[in-house]
Amino acid sequence: MGNTNSSHKISAQDRAILDLKNQRDKLHQYQRRITVLTDRETAIAKECLARDDRRRALLALRRKKYQESLLAKTDAQLAQLEELTNSVEFALVQKDVLFGLQQGTSVLQAIHKEMGGLEAVEKLMGETEEARAYQEEISQMLAGQMSNQDEDEVEDELEALQREVEGVSLPNAPTSTLPEGSEKEKEEKAKARARARAKERAAVPLAA
Amino acid sequence: MTMSSSRQIQSLSTISTEKPPFQFPPTYSFPPFFTPQPNTSTRHSQLEKWSALIQSWCRYYRIFKLSLVDAVETPLFHNAALKKRVSLSEARAIVDWMARADEDGGGGKRAEWVEGLAGKEKTLAWIWWRRPEEWAALIAGWVEETGQKNTVLTLYELMEGDGTRSQEFHGLDPDIMLRSLNVLVKQGKAQVFGNEGQEGVKFF
Repeated sequence: MGNTNSSHKISAQDRAILDLKNQRDKLHQYQRRITVLTDRETAIAKECLARDDRRRALLALRRKKYQESLLAKTDAQLAQLEELTNSVEFALVQKDVLFGLQQGTSVLQAIHKEMGGLEAVEKLMGETEEARAYQEEISQMLAGQMSNQDEDEVEDELEALQREVEGVSLPNAPTSTLPEGSEKEKEEKAKARARARAKERAAVPLAA
Repeated sequence: MTMSSSRQIQSLSTISTEKPPFQFPPTYSFPPFFTPQPNTSTRHSQLEKWSALIQSWCRYYRIFKLSLVDAVETPLFHNAALKKRVSLSEARAIVDWMARADEDGGGGKRAEWVEGLAGKEKTLAWIWWRRPEEWAALIAGWVEETGQKNTVLTLYELMEGDGTRSQEFHGLDPDIMLRSLNVLVKQGKAQVFGNEGQEGVKFF
């Protein structure tokens, strides 16, 4: 009825719920009608009693009693209808929850595929471990190489410091022949130190 | 037949027992208020005051459709103490003015003649003390507050249900309810569906 174009948001469940709710509304209206009738019968009974017409008063009250029993029945029917309506609506909520779970699971599975799965992760972790171990070996090698140079420099600094200390105690200028000697001595000392370090390095693996 | 008359009787007794009398504004006691004024600016002021009075009266007694033939006999248009009353033609002129838009020199579309009375003189009018768009906002607000989006509600439930008893749109005229919901449909906030007389609405 003019809703055909834009009724895509209205599902079959919505229409079913509407039917249930319309039935509920009809029962509500019926109850209101009966309430009006019972009130009227009470008024009639009072009027009859005022006119000393006990028989008609009794008739009115009997009709009222009957109508009240109808009310009780419709109350029960209403409760059933509302319970059914609530069940349908809750089932729709549950359906939405289930759908949400399904969506979540699908997304999770898609992510797992992109990651390559458990085997790919294990392989990657293994490769990472190997690369890290290799890097440590490289680091150790580089450290060994550099230590020779560093030690030479440190020992040279030490000798320079010692000379400065001796220089302070001797105010006289050194003779011209000394620089040549010191240069030669430097070379000899360096060679001797290298030999000593080589001996120490040879000793270290034995200790290990 | 019996049912509708019983309801009317009930509603009348409700008015007389539960509500104090309507409070008229001061101009209601001013005799010239009941006579069309020749001066343009005075006339405009008079029309504005009548519009406000009619809207207040209808809001107070929850009258949605006003029958002028009946209304001219009520205290709204007839001040018995003052022995002054508005004529039917004058009442019609006032409502005509109310029905026009502000831009057309009218009274802001606070009334609307009921269509379908072709060939007859205008006697029945909606009094928009609240327009359908304004009712629509109230209804949508209530649906939001009560967490009922994406649920199906019947029109009867909205107008007569226990859930809306505290709301101003409880007891709203069915035609106005439908027009209000259609405002929401156009805004994409609701969809009305179902067979005629058993419509329901789903809010989004």
